[in-house]
Amino acid sequence: MRFSFDGREFLGQRGDTLASALLANGVTLLGRSVKYRRPRGLLALGPEEPNALMTVGETPTVIPNVPAPQLVLRDGLNARSQNRWPSLRFDVASLLQAGGGFFGAGFYYKTFIWPSWRAYEGLIRNLAGLGEAPGAAAIPPPSIEHLACDVLVGGGGAAGLGAALAAARAGASVVLCEREPELGGELDFETATVNGASASDWIGAVRAELAGRGARVLTDATVIGGSDGLVIVHQVPGGLAGRDSMYRVRPRRFVIAMGAVERPIAFTDNDRPGVMLLGAAERLMVRYGVATGQRPLVFGNHDRIYAAAARLVGRGIRPVAVIDTRAGATTESAALARHRSVLERAGVLCLAAHAVLSVDGRGGVRAATVAPLRTPGAARRIECDCVLVSGGWSPSVHAGLHEGGERRYLEGNGAFIAASQPEWRLCAGAANGALELAAALAEGFAAGERAAREAGAAQGAGPVPVASGDPEPRLVPFWRSPASIAAEKRQFVDLQNDVTVADLRQALAEGFVDIEHVKRYTTLGVGTEQGRTGGALGAGILAELKGETLGSVGASRTRPPYHPLTLAAIVGHRAGQQLRVLRRTPLHEWHEANGGVLEPAEFWMRTRYYRANGIDAFAAGIVEADRVRKHGGVVDGSTLGKIEVAGADAARYLDRLYLSKASTIKVGRSKYMVNLREDGMVLDDGIVLRLAEDRFLATTGSGHAEHMLAHFERYRDTEWSGAEVALANVTEAWGVIVAAGPASRAALGAALGPEWTARIGQLAHMEFADGMHGGAELRVLRASFSGELAFELHCRPGLTVGLWQGLVEAGLPPYGLEALDILRVEKGYLVGSEMNGQTTPGDLGMDGLLKLGNPCVGVALLDRPAFREPSRPKLVGLKATDGKAVILGGAQITRASAPSRSLGYITSSAYSPALGEWIALALVARSDAAEGMNLVARDPLRGGDVPVRVTAPVHFDPGAERMKS
Amino acid sequence: MNRLVCPFCGARELEEFLFHKTLPEAGASEYSAVYERTNRLDDSLEHWQHVHGCRAWLEVRRNPSSGDVLEIRMIGGGRN
Ligand SMILES: [Zn+2]
Repeated sequence: MRFSFDGREFLGQRGDTLASALLANGVTLLGRSVKYRRPRGLLALGPEEPNALMTVGETPTVIPNVPAPQLVLRDGLNARSQNRWPSLRFDVASLLQAGGGFFGAGFYYKTFIWPSWRAYEGLIRNLAGLGEAPGAAAIPPPSIEHLACDVLVGGGGAAGLGAALAAARAGASVVLCEREPELGGELDFETATVNGASASDWIGAVRAELAGRGARVLTDATVIGGSDGLVIVHQVPGGLAGRDSMYRVRPRRFVIAMGAVERPIAFTDNDRPGVMLLGAAERLMVRYGVATGQRPLVFGNHDRIYAAAARLVGRGIRPVAVIDTRAGATTESAALARHRSVLERAGVLCLAAHAVLSVDGRGGVRAATVAPLRTPGAARRIECDCVLVSGGWSPSVHAGLHEGGERRYLEGNGAFIAASQPEWRLCAGAANGALELAAALAEGFAAGERAAREAGAAQGAGPVPVASGDPEPRLVPFWRSPASIAAEKRQFVDLQNDVTVADLRQALAEGFVDIEHVKRYTTLGVGTEQGRTGGALGAGILAELKGETLGSVGASRTRPPYHPLTLAAIVGHRAGQQLRVLRRTPLHEWHEANGGVLEPAEFWMRTRYYRANGIDAFAAGIVEADRVRKHGGVVDGSTLGKIEVAGADAARYLDRLYLSKASTIKVGRSKYMVNLREDGMVLDDGIVLRLAEDRFLATTGSGHAEHMLAHFERYRDTEWSGAEVALANVTEAWGVIVAAGPASRAALGAALGPEWTARIGQLAHMEFADGMHGGAELRVLRASFSGELAFELHCRPGLTVGLWQGLVEAGLPPYGLEALDILRVEKGYLVGSEMNGQTTPGDLGMDGLLKLGNPCVGVALLDRPAFREPSRPKLVGLKATDGKAVILGGAQITRASAPSRSLGYITSSAYSPALGEWIALALVARSDAAEGMNLVARDPLRGGDVPVRVTAPVHFDPGAERMKS
Repeated sequence: MNRLVCPFCGARELEEFLFHKTLPEAGASEYSAVYERTNRLDDSLEHWQHVHGCRAWLEVRRNPSSGDVLEIRMIGGGRN
């Protein structure tokens, strides 16, 4: 397979990752460090890799920070290294440190303070950061699948396979997820047998048995978080976003068997390409057939290093030395003795109580300096081409730390496991500190059986598979090799963020003693791999520097997600049209075809204005509003919320929900009504029609129907349960056309024919007629939101376009929301700007309704002294004193003498063509709200100060002569 | 807590439900019922609606600190 790296073409094998393919091609320089731009190679073989991070693809599907060992090779893959300019080999910023200029924790903030941080920020930001943000990305969202099962097993290594097998045999439904493309974990390279068979045969047999028992096995699938019985699994086949899936798994029991992450040991220049984790090198060799070097030096603090070194010998690679930090194994196990004799026969130098102090070489390792720990001065130089290091293992417990889970220190492992688990979670295997194969497998098997039983499965799981593999590691914690204070600047702890031992020491010296503070001050473990290798190491070294135990220092808190996600993966399908429903009225296509400028409003697409009437909304709105007053027009009112209320108790029920009574409405008539919230604030308003003795149509504001239906249902079902009332949201069952203006009655007659002409002619204000037109139901209500003679036509959606077209042809041109708003501001009618959830009926001038004394929901709490205070807002009208100036919504109202004390603000404003000037509605403190008061509308960001005069809220036709004509 | 068991629809994602309020103590005044909710850590009686499901109004008794739902039942006898 062909692929390119930094523009160079390479060939790789199917099944390779980018990391293995590059190493196989002899490319060991895979990135540069973020701060010092030091050359870096591969350290680890998983999402914990700190340095070999790649940018993949081209705009707009470019993805940064993909770990090379996670990225499965495919033909034509195009990957680029990061943190280098102009190229990986020659990086300008690395010259900054050529003179030994290492800058420690807090360097930027302490150094670039004159004249200000801002003066330097741009330059520094260009050099800083991990990869580059992709900008506008077109990465497809993942699919989301919901799974339910008895037992979820996280991790497909020895413990996880054991757990899944036991649970499935016990009769439980099982989901197993494994982060890698293959099952097996360390069984992959450990010299192991299970039930007498080779590990790979056993893995195959387990896979087949799980399939036979109906278990679902997800590979490339990582548990990234979860609590409360919900576990989130992110599956990224090939290691690249854009083809990923999310699983929301609800297991009855969750077995955490996600193994452990190997950690390095800090020594001088331990970040050089060629210094690699031992387990990573073993897996590279077994899975991908790539040797990290021909003369490796193995360095560690446990028995496993001998097993690994012996395996290298078995593969024809003779390690130059095995360096063990321990003073010598106290008891030799048979397995250990066998490994040692292999090494002895091969002539491998084995040194106990020694450590690697440093390595030589810049782009790779040429030699290591090794010394006895008791006498570090007596160092010797050993030539080698790589250092394979293992400082122990940190259990992968992230999923066990939510929902009350806590870390517990295991002295023998020098590591933390997850304790205090809720009953639905169990930990097993290396994730639980069991590092030896037989123990991990047995623990996993037992956990699987227990989980299945607790989930209700009744069968037994049978005998535990017997395994044998590498010996118990018998680790003695060792975090860093001896070094001079100067050399501590090159003992790297967190390779991704260039945190060194010197930084940790400095943090302590400056008083940052808590692990969480040290993390934030030094950036230890804040990178894309979240300190998976460096975090544990840093905590161990911090404990050493403080003279405390690692158990008392602890580890910084981990938070989901476990690995980096694209925002698309989090958002999923909830974007664009899936996020926000936009409904179309039956007239949508007509508006589009006739120059309507449509825009979203309250989850509807509505027409703001028609292009023929002006170049923009402002100009067209004035033309359209003016024409309605002088002649007439039609506006699409289909978005009006409509709730049908029916039943024997309907009238009494509505009486308790509205400020005025519905029971006094006569059949065939309607009433303007107002709802309150239980705290007394105005909730909504609308016209309520009485369709029959036991049937009403309550209209609500556009977009309020869903909310109001829930409100209605709540009172029916909770407060007054048993009420004989049925509710239905019929908003979309009716199209609504409003015909307004002096010519509207005649136009309706022309459009609807003689029979309707007679009926409409008899309609009094707020009266309606029901009937048929063109074979479908039609209701004509005489009501007005413009102050003109007006009719609302409620018709079935299929009839709407024909009726509308008829009215237009009868001489009523269409108008949009902009004109609608001008007309209602002229009349002082209210919308959400005024009924904003903070205003009472008293504030909004509804005293007439209050005086009716109907004890509806919310009235009880209106009787509070604060509502009568002079500072309480009152709805008023405003006009510019000079009759010319522009006044805009949002402007603050003050007295001229106290310009910084706000008395209220403008809620709505419009240029009124009928009055030839700007008018507004405002909420102004009662103390200053009397008609004729002179105030100032302050709008410093837009227009400055405008002297205004308080008027009545109804600016136009205060006697309402026109709509009653 | 990320699911509720509706008496009609069974266990459903929390996003199908709308929390309305914590119920006031018995005998609370109107003012107290609106403004003075006790925030009990161990036992909270609440009204929820299965708004994206059967629309039933539900009385939910739960333990906010553990997330355990102690009791869930339909309120009253609404019909639709
Ligand atoms: Zn339900």
